[in-house]
Amino acid sequence: MIVAERKPFEEVRAMVKDFKKVLTVGCGTCVAVCLAGGEKEVGVLNSELKIARRMEGSPIQTGGVTVERQCDMEFLEELDGIVDEYDAIISMACGAGIQFIAERFPDIPVFPGVDTSFIGVNREVGWYEEKCRACGTCVLGMTAGICPVTMCAKGLFNGPCGGTNKGSCEINSDQPCAWHRIHERLAKQNRLQNILDICPPNDWRNQTPRTIVQPGYKDRLAAFGIK
Amino acid sequence: MTQQTQMETINLSTDVLVVGAGMTGVKAAAEIAASGYRVVLIDEGTGLGKEAGSSVADLDGEELATLDALVESVNGSEMIEVMTGTRIDGAAGVPGDFRVWLSGNDDIVEKSIGAIVVASELVACPLNEAYGLNLSDTVITQSQMEAALCENPAAFAGKSVAFMLGLAQDGNPLVLERVLKSVLAMENMDDASAYVFAGDLKVAEDGLERLYLECRDKGAMTVKLTEMPAIMQEDGTLSITYDDPVLQRKVELSPDIIVVEEAIGADQVNAALADMLKIDMGSMGFLQTENVHRYPVSTNREGIFVVGGSRRVKKRYGALMDAENAAIKVRNLLGDGTITIPANKAVLDIGKCTFCLTCYRCCPHGAIYWSADNKPVISKVACQGCGICASECPMDAIQIGDFNDADMIDQVTRSSTAKADGAPTIVAFCCQNSGLEAARMAELFGMPLPKGLKTVAVPCAGKVDIDYVMHALAEGADGVVIMACHNGNCKSEKGSLYASWRAANAQGMLEAIGIEKDRICFATTASNMGADFSGILMSMEETLTGK
Repeated sequence: MIVAERKPFEEVRAMVKDFKKVLTVGCGTCVAVCLAGGEKEVGVLNSELKIARRMEGSPIQTGGVTVERQCDMEFLEELDGIVDEYDAIISMACGAGIQFIAERFPDIPVFPGVDTSFIGVNREVGWYEEKCRACGTCVLGMTAGICPVTMCAKGLFNGPCGGTNKGSCEINSDQPCAWHRIHERLAKQNRLQNILDICPPNDWRNQTPRTIVQPGYKDRLAAFGIK
Repeated sequence: MTQQTQMETINLSTDVLVVGAGMTGVKAAAEIAASGYRVVLIDEGTGLGKEAGSSVADLDGEELATLDALVESVNGSEMIEVMTGTRIDGAAGVPGDFRVWLSGNDDIVEKSIGAIVVASELVACPLNEAYGLNLSDTVITQSQMEAALCENPAAFAGKSVAFMLGLAQDGNPLVLERVLKSVLAMENMDDASAYVFAGDLKVAEDGLERLYLECRDKGAMTVKLTEMPAIMQEDGTLSITYDDPVLQRKVELSPDIIVVEEAIGADQVNAALADMLKIDMGSMGFLQTENVHRYPVSTNREGIFVVGGSRRVKKRYGALMDAENAAIKVRNLLGDGTITIPANKAVLDIGKCTFCLTCYRCCPHGAIYWSADNKPVISKVACQGCGICASECPMDAIQIGDFNDADMIDQVTRSSTAKADGAPTIVAFCCQNSGLEAARMAELFGMPLPKGLKTVAVPCAGKVDIDYVMHALAEGADGVVIMACHNGNCKSEKGSLYASWRAANAQGMLEAIGIEKDRICFATTASNMGADFSGILMSMEETLTGK
């Protein structure tokens, strides 16, 4: 899941300070699951804005809608008739959703309500851990299911480096050494040969905006002339 | 509510599983079977009523006869299936529809069960090491003493026996009773003499004071010590040297036998049972939290009851009373095999649900589970309607009976916008188990209350949504008060806690906005504390008036 954090209130307040009618749009998928941008958080942010603006003597009107997913155009349709009534939009989705809203409503300023943080897992209610950097070249098969791009400070594909220190990373004793853990797990699985094999480097030139068309859908796009 | 609440009838499985066939478990099985329910009585051991080697044998003649009669009635009952050498391997489901997996010697059987009674027994643990003693022929535990007195009391003729207690642990009436019974047995023999070296004598149980006096009248000598005496154990010779509090000098005694006390505690199996049954552990390894709403035999989960030694250290009659209470609870729950419940107790809107698991993880009653097609389900039987799940749900997908979000927000808006003669508007969210009753009491008794006070009832403080708190302030309330139950007094165990966390979170938001955080006040109270309620609210009014 994509994990996000609510932006500090001060930042949100500053972004919308010149607007009188603001629509806050929640997203019912990842950011709702990680308790940052679902229906509940939309209501709370709107209340915060109202309290702050009343205090400033510049009241604000707010609206709240939470759509299923802001990263699907069809789900943004329900906003079509609504956004015209507002001067600005705060999107509480991840960066992808925010941009999709901004693209659909190019005449209205769209502001982020959250900071998109990482792709991660849910350890407990409200507790998330980063697991994946979406590098585009997954090596988890080599590394016993532990991501060195995320976990290793150097993002090494062939570790450990000389900075591994009794299970910790040289940058911080609280930071586990990814390659120490990889070694431990590979050893348990009798796959230590993986450490000796050279893992070819990632093509970091892939860090331009990427597009994926799943194999079964290339024909579909061509048939309908979708570009 | 003006609308008639729709009711729903649910069929329940009426078989009852009793875990543990010590005397308490046997009694519970007999009582429940007598109410007309089929019982599955399991025990890891080999027979009924027998406690494991380390268990506390606190039965004397009369109780033993009762136990024998109980075992006989259970063995003869067609309603009770006894499975010895069997343990519970897993459990799933909700009251009226539990599935349990029982593993015996060869195989695992699955059973459909309506309610579960846990009847683990107390366990004794000898404390000889704390006295610097090794167990031997002449240094024995209380349990060994009881067994020896039972087997061959004549062996103690002419012997002097010193009992050590209350020096290695805090005293306990159950520990004392066992010692005194043995002391009395000694004193009833010719030539035998008993000495009791005690750090304390806890007599807060029926008949204990009398038993102590009887021992003393018969000649037992009791010495109260403030510190551990010097005890020598060499070549089979024993000696105890102590500061005699009466003679005010050192005295040495050489008894033939020393009996060391035992700690009485919970069976270690409890932790695994708690984990498997998703019930809260209390202190010292017992299976009940110190919460008045759990007494006598309830747990945080409906349909799972704990009796006797599984929940506390208590004399046998208390455990047997627990068994009877469990039978009453089972009867109240399972009735005739159907239960009628409000259909809107907690309603989940699957369309809004984003399957984040927050409700499942937060429910203190284990009332939320997953159906086979991966949909969350709230069991209406298990649900206690506290609303913790609804207030944690990021999508407001759960609505609680008479406290649905639309109505609540509506009421909060009306309360927040009401103004009274320039007095600050205070919206007080009151738990109906405590704060709301305290508010009524304050009003009825004419105690001072703020002019601008608006109370909003919630089923539990756990239903106080952070959205409600912020909405109240956004709509014009000058302050918000949350009146919850005292810690450990919350019917839903964690409702007050959740409310306090949310209040702190909302206070942080106010600070970020730049206004005083004391516009939000979280306080705990009880239903009979009207004066307390009045005091808290008046102080809030004063705080807000000064702003």
